Amino acid sequence: MRFSQHFVSGNNGVLMGVWDVVVVGAGHAGIEAAMAAARMGSSVCVVTLSRDTIGQMPCNPAAGGIGKGHLIMELDALGGVQGWAVDRSGIQFRRLNASRGPAVWGPRAQCDKERYSQLMRRLLRGTHGVNVVEGEASEVLVDGGRVVGVRLAKGDDIRAACVILTTGTFLGGVLHTGDDRRDGGRFGEAPSVGLGANLREMGLQLRRFKTGTPPRLHRDSLDYSKLEVQEGDVRPQAFSWRSGAVRNQAVCWVGRTPEAVREIIEENLDRSPLFGGQIDGVGPRYCPSIEDKVVRFPHHKEHTVFLEPETLNGPSMYINGLSTSLPADIQERVVRAVPGFENASFLRYGYAVEYDVVAPKQVGHDLQVSTVPGLYLAGQIMGTSGYEEAGALGFVAGVNAASSLKGGAGLRLGREQAYIGVLVDDLVNREHREPYRMFTSRAEHRLSLGVDSASERLMAEGVRLGLVPTKVFHVEQSRWERRREASLALESGAVVPNRSNKERLRKDLGIDLRTPTTWAGLLRRQDIDTQAAAAMAPALSGLPESEQSIIIGRLRYSGYIERHARERTRVERLRHVKIPADFSYEMVSGLSREVLEEMERVRPQTLAEAERLAGVTPAAMALIAGRLSAPARE
Amino acid sequence: MAKAFSSELSSVLSGGADTIVARATAAGAGALAVIRISGPETGRVAEALCPEIDMGTPWRARVVRLHDSGGRSIEDAIAIPYRAPQSYTGEDMLELMVHGSPWIVETLVETVVSAGGRHATPGEFTQRAVSNGKMDLIQAEAVHEVIQAETLWQARMAREQLHGGLSREILAMKEKMVHFLAEIEGSLDFEEQGAVTDRDSLELTWKSCLEEIDGLLQTVAAGVRVREGARVVIIGAPNSGKSTLFNTLLSRERAIVTALPGTTRDVLEAGLEIEGLPVVLVDTAGLREATDPAEAEGIRRAGHEVGRADVILDLFSADEGKPSFDPRVDDQRVAVVSKVDLFGGTVEGALGISCVTGEGLELLRDEIHRRIAAPLGSMTGNVAVNARHGKALERAREHLVGVLGLPGEVAALEIRSALKCVDEIIGTVEDQEVLDEIFSAFCVGK
Repeated sequence: MRFSQHFVSGNNGVLMGVWDVVVVGAGHAGIEAAMAAARMGSSVCVVTLSRDTIGQMPCNPAAGGIGKGHLIMELDALGGVQGWAVDRSGIQFRRLNASRGPAVWGPRAQCDKERYSQLMRRLLRGTHGVNVVEGEASEVLVDGGRVVGVRLAKGDDIRAACVILTTGTFLGGVLHTGDDRRDGGRFGEAPSVGLGANLREMGLQLRRFKTGTPPRLHRDSLDYSKLEVQEGDVRPQAFSWRSGAVRNQAVCWVGRTPEAVREIIEENLDRSPLFGGQIDGVGPRYCPSIEDKVVRFPHHKEHTVFLEPETLNGPSMYINGLSTSLPADIQERVVRAVPGFENASFLRYGYAVEYDVVAPKQVGHDLQVSTVPGLYLAGQIMGTSGYEEAGALGFVAGVNAASSLKGGAGLRLGREQAYIGVLVDDLVNREHREPYRMFTSRAEHRLSLGVDSASERLMAEGVRLGLVPTKVFHVEQSRWERRREASLALESGAVVPNRSNKERLRKDLGIDLRTPTTWAGLLRRQDIDTQAAAAMAPALSGLPESEQSIIIGRLRYSGYIERHARERTRVERLRHVKIPADFSYEMVSGLSREVLEEMERVRPQTLAEAERLAGVTPAAMALIAGRLSAPARE
Repeated sequence: MAKAFSSELSSVLSGGADTIVARATAAGAGALAVIRISGPETGRVAEALCPEIDMGTPWRARVVRLHDSGGRSIEDAIAIPYRAPQSYTGEDMLELMVHGSPWIVETLVETVVSAGGRHATPGEFTQRAVSNGKMDLIQAEAVHEVIQAETLWQARMAREQLHGGLSREILAMKEKMVHFLAEIEGSLDFEEQGAVTDRDSLELTWKSCLEEIDGLLQTVAAGVRVREGARVVIIGAPNSGKSTLFNTLLSRERAIVTALPGTTRDVLEAGLEIEGLPVVLVDTAGLREATDPAEAEGIRRAGHEVGRADVILDLFSADEGKPSFDPRVDDQRVAVVSKVDLFGGTVEGALGISCVTGEGLELLRDEIHRRIAAPLGSMTGNVAVNARHGKALERAREHLVGVLGLPGEVAALEIRSALKCVDEIIGTVEDQEVLDEIFSAFCVGK
């Protein structure tokens, strides 16, 4: 059932009529949500505090990396837009962990922030079904237990069947620079005030997180002779199937903070809002401020910092690794103590922002709030950190909101299918005491979830949702087919130790072959020059190097993936075992109280669902399974 | 009957944990019996039994007069209330000490059931203790073992395990494995930021993990020895005095009444304790001396016993000459020459005994003890893993053994599998722990 959209715009933007979806916030989550929903046929109204700040990158002028890069690639395979925008605004491309297997490759790009947000503004404006409105949403309107729209601070109501909140760091945002404490969602921007209280009234539990950002320095005030250059990859690769070739246009620099920095910070810790106690929120351990680093690792004499241009030609340089909320004068001393930054002039000081997030377990796998149908949450408001995490969540919320209105299955990805699945599952089911960021170590199926397989795993879903053209899908399919054929050929291609082969192998690879093997067997060996071996393998000839790395990487994983798959078959068989609705967990000997309560709260319907819950260990699964299979013994 | 049914129904409907009751002491008549009650309704149950029981002053013993559900007084008892979480199960509890009359016990238990409790299932009190975090799985196992302990060593080991001795060892091993995993995960997820551990450090950690596992695996033999005892088998030619020796040893040592695992009816066996270790003494006399056609079977059975034996007493009488094996190279057998009082002299490599005069018996006993206690040398403290733990540890070891040669992301998978095995033993590995370890070990973060 579609809600039609009638919209009359008055002088101050008074809107009338009913929308399918209202998206509050036009950051990374809001944009993906709006784009997905609109392209699936919903009418979407995006409410943003300011048109100028659409698609901002408030912190790192970069996207991707290890874990985050996985999210962008998956989002792209599903039909999201972030990958495209990163490619078009990308000024340097690097693949982290390039020397390791495909499962942990982390594609990353430095972006021109202004270009990125310009691209996103144009995209929203140019997409049919999307309307952008400036204003502050101060209340979610609920009627009969269901969402019916939002109210803006200036008094207007926007009626909608679904509301997606992507408020980022704006909910109850407070900025800290030393003693300076002011309300704000980001530097120079007012926070969102009423909405937090409104959510609490609806019964949602909120908590406080914090994040920080480093100072920005003027490009021309730095001495690059004292810094190390960091170039992009020789053969930069694009994130998105939509993109053509990409190229490197900028470099980064690496510097080190000397011991003097540690001393300066230690002397002035009392002036730090973090250590002085003014900040309540919990910050992420993986993104510590420089004061955090100095306090937790006092034995480290120096810390590495990375200097990254925020735009291609503009003056602003971002110092990665110097996130801080120390007072301005201390920031100046700290920064100027670093070789190369002696005469640094500050365009902006670093600051910390504290903000409200919704505590986990209040939202379903479709990102809908369990107690308020029609209300969806996505992005940093859910307690994540990062543009990529936000984008992925926004996409999931947008797709599910649109599906709920037009019919259709929505999007629910399992942990074994995608990092997006891990992301949603972790946020929905587990407690986190700091902002959640994706790492590959969160994925138990990591070997099968590399960026190389994102499209194979997910593009079909993108096509089903109508967000990826079938033409593109068919092109990708032939690529996958070629990979499969090459892998099969390698597995069956014999390498016999006859005289000429043995000679060749000894000369080119330095190995002494005794028994017949296959090309696959040869490539699996750790003691050979892989590139040289790949060059010799007939099945790989003619394939681009990137494809070859993927095929060989998967070969090397296959044994382990199979073995672990076999280990899981025992549990696999149990997965589909249904748990009766009145099953008494109390009667299962040996379950911890935590697991017991979790089971009773969630009431999983199958053992597979039970296994996904936090705190449910293999031991607990075995106990429950045992109990399920022996009721007759009572 | 209807009353009992409806109280069970109501506890199911109320959805909360039930209040359970059971006789804690062994069945049958005795001077005293203990009844245990645990759960949220304990207070109400206490009220029903005797209004004087004051849950408000827990951990104090009082003499009270108990009533049945009809209000008739049944028994004077000592009542000790416990307030959660300071009780065995971690819930509110009540323990009643009454005369050990089966009728009294049964009536009181039924009274509790009518007042809202239900019969506990076997092991349920311990299960609740685990549920409420009062003990872990390993300790819960130990409870059973403490109860079953018949010998000094069994008691010592079970108590050590109950007090968390084994748990601590396993936790120490787990921590090493978590640290190992964190080193590898750190280098994968934070490659750019210098969170790289050098190869040497990884190798050290890996070695340390394997050493921990091996140390614990070595105690399996000790654990089996203490829990299940050693089989000491007496063999020898007819008339070498096997039955006499059997009876003599039995009369000198403390007998164990209940059957130990692995005993069969066809062979003459007895359980006894030597220096705190359980022993099954086996006499093959009956087997050897059977006449055809059973003799062949008897010989086969004797051979079977020898195959299962931990120690073999190879007996020959002094007039027969020499032992049938070379005592210098055979660890398992003790050459014993009997009836030295009659035939005198010593035989090279054999222990001379006389069941009549008692000569040499002390030495023989010491020798037996020395051999059966040998595996215990691998234990530190009184901690030994049992067979279940041993299997899980072996699987963990298999996962770890080749890890150093693997690419990081594969190694991480193997270490996680090893940790799952550890989890099966103790039940406590959380994903968050690995992240915690990464962040405390590495200064990462851009």
